[in-house]
Amino acid sequence: MTLFPRKLFNDSLPLIVLKHQLYSVHHDKTLVDKELNKLREQGELLMFQLGFDTEAFGLIFASDYKTKVLAGEEGRETRATVERFLEKVVSSCTDLSFSKDKMLRQFLFTDTEITQLVKSGVLTVRDAGSWWLSIPNSGKFTKYFIQGRKAVLGMVKKSKYSEVLKAELEERRTNVQVKFPMKYLIHDIVGAELVESIPTTSGPLLRFVDS
Amino acid sequence: MLGYLTARQAGLDDPLRLRRAESTRRVQSLKLNPDRDVDRIHGNGINTIDIEAIEGRYMLSGGADGVVVIYDLENYSGKQQYTCKAVCSIGRSNRHVHKFSVETVQWYPYDTGMFVSSSFDKTMKVWDTETLKPAEVFEFEGNVYNHHLSPIARKHSLIAVGTKNPKIQLCDLKSGSRIHILQGHRAEVLSVRWSPRYEHILASASADSKVKVWDVRRASGSLFTLDQHNGDKSKASSEAVNTAHNGRVNGLCFSGDGLHLLTTGTDDRMRLWNSATGENTLVNYGKVCNESRKRLQFTVSRGCSPEFVFVPCGSSVAVYALHTGELVTMLRGHYNNVDCCEFHPDYQELYSGGKDCNILAWVPVLRAPDVEEEPDSTKKSAAGQPSVNPAFEDAWSSDED
Repeated sequence: MTLFPRKLFNDSLPLIVLKHQLYSVHHDKTLVDKELNKLREQGELLMFQLGFDTEAFGLIFASDYKTKVLAGEEGRETRATVERFLEKVVSSCTDLSFSKDKMLRQFLFTDTEITQLVKSGVLTVRDAGSWWLSIPNSGKFTKYFIQGRKAVLGMVKKSKYSEVLKAELEERRTNVQVKFPMKYLIHDIVGAELVESIPTTSGPLLRFVDS
Repeated sequence: MLGYLTARQAGLDDPLRLRRAESTRRVQSLKLNPDRDVDRIHGNGINTIDIEAIEGRYMLSGGADGVVVIYDLENYSGKQQYTCKAVCSIGRSNRHVHKFSVETVQWYPYDTGMFVSSSFDKTMKVWDTETLKPAEVFEFEGNVYNHHLSPIARKHSLIAVGTKNPKIQLCDLKSGSRIHILQGHRAEVLSVRWSPRYEHILASASADSKVKVWDVRRASGSLFTLDQHNGDKSKASSEAVNTAHNGRVNGLCFSGDGLHLLTTGTDDRMRLWNSATGENTLVNYGKVCNESRKRLQFTVSRGCSPEFVFVPCGSSVAVYALHTGELVTMLRGHYNNVDCCEFHPDYQELYSGGKDCNILAWVPVLRAPDVEEEPDSTKKSAAGQPSVNPAFEDAWSSDED
């Protein structure tokens, strides 16, 4: 399923997929959820809160994440802390966020080390005293993603009767600002139920859902 | 079908199996039947309907104009085209009618001599069906959103009432007292439900996004609060810890056996919980559109396998499989928002009422009749045949082919 995320961020970001994109690929949401939880327990997959939507969770393979983060940390003083963090914390627990308590007691990180981790982008502030696990340099990703989602939704809305055949939408080219491939964005809007997918004789039809 | 019948006859199959398979097949073929109608009495939207549990014959409906109507659902006319007539109603001319909209009506669980209705005029009235006069009136400080009588209670006759006040009041039907209060919620209580399995367990849903389960015999607070993340504090932002939904929780329904609890919220999600442990079973139903500011009345089928959930979703009713979460079908037919729906377990019919002042009956579509008629077939045979022996004539089924 990691066919789509593009390597246009100069390879500095690992391949990210959103959980609801998988709902568009498989039709049984409960099954997808169960399998994802299994992979997370095994430590092969990491889930992140992306911040722009309470339900949008990003998924990355653990090995990918580690290599990219360490590559980004080359030559920086914070490297050692980040390495330690990755080994201890990420490999062992599957949480999405950490509270100050936990960091200090369980994992024995000091305050300065936590600041270093936030600086390097591995932790993002959630509220006073707790942090989300995050992807360094993911700001660009989120920005382009939201832009892309708006653009594709706009395309569907502007069509006659606010509906487009999926095949036709895939053919249309996105304008230069939208960096993601069409398929990636289509899976996103279908999975997040922003459009309704109706089966027709000429393939699935995407109709904008007014909510 | 014939296979099931022979297996049952030969003793290979448990008799329950035939019943369950046929009920499931009927529920899956629910459709709006042009022959079945319900009398249109309400002048405003219908907020709530209830079918009595004993015979399944009479249906109560409460409307936004304060009117309460009782319908007879049985078809004794022998004809296929049938309109469920209103037997009596508490209209605007009645001295004791509610002043504002009726939010919940419920039959007394043991006989149809009594029913209870609660409304936005801050009262709850216990009516005598024969005389249509209230035998008891309970007054409250805020709008009454929901009340519920336990369908299985033997040792108590308490009515749980959810009002604008965060405290849940328990009113005793026998003595008329209401000293028992359940404290714990922080905002208005939108829905209360007794468990159909244990007569002392009560679940309540509130606008503060929490669902609490109580044992009324306990002096201290609730048994537990439902947590959508199952205690995984890291998944949510810190304000959303220990909440059942990310918005107001406005619908509660126990499954038929009482082992599972379904909740719907304004975050457009429906969740299935294990009612004994409070664990979120994480069944994903997708987006269940929910914009209701008040309680949403939805229902679960009984006697089928797998069970189905009927949820009003905008102007249609969505049917989901209970345990897998897949959308089976959308029942479209109302002209405006649907507010309530109720399942008739004996005939596998669904009645739904909404803002368009209509109650629609969704009836299972029958199989096409067999080409060759046997002279004494009673089930699903082509009716209107004068040659059918009157002893075998189907006099109780209301939708004949």
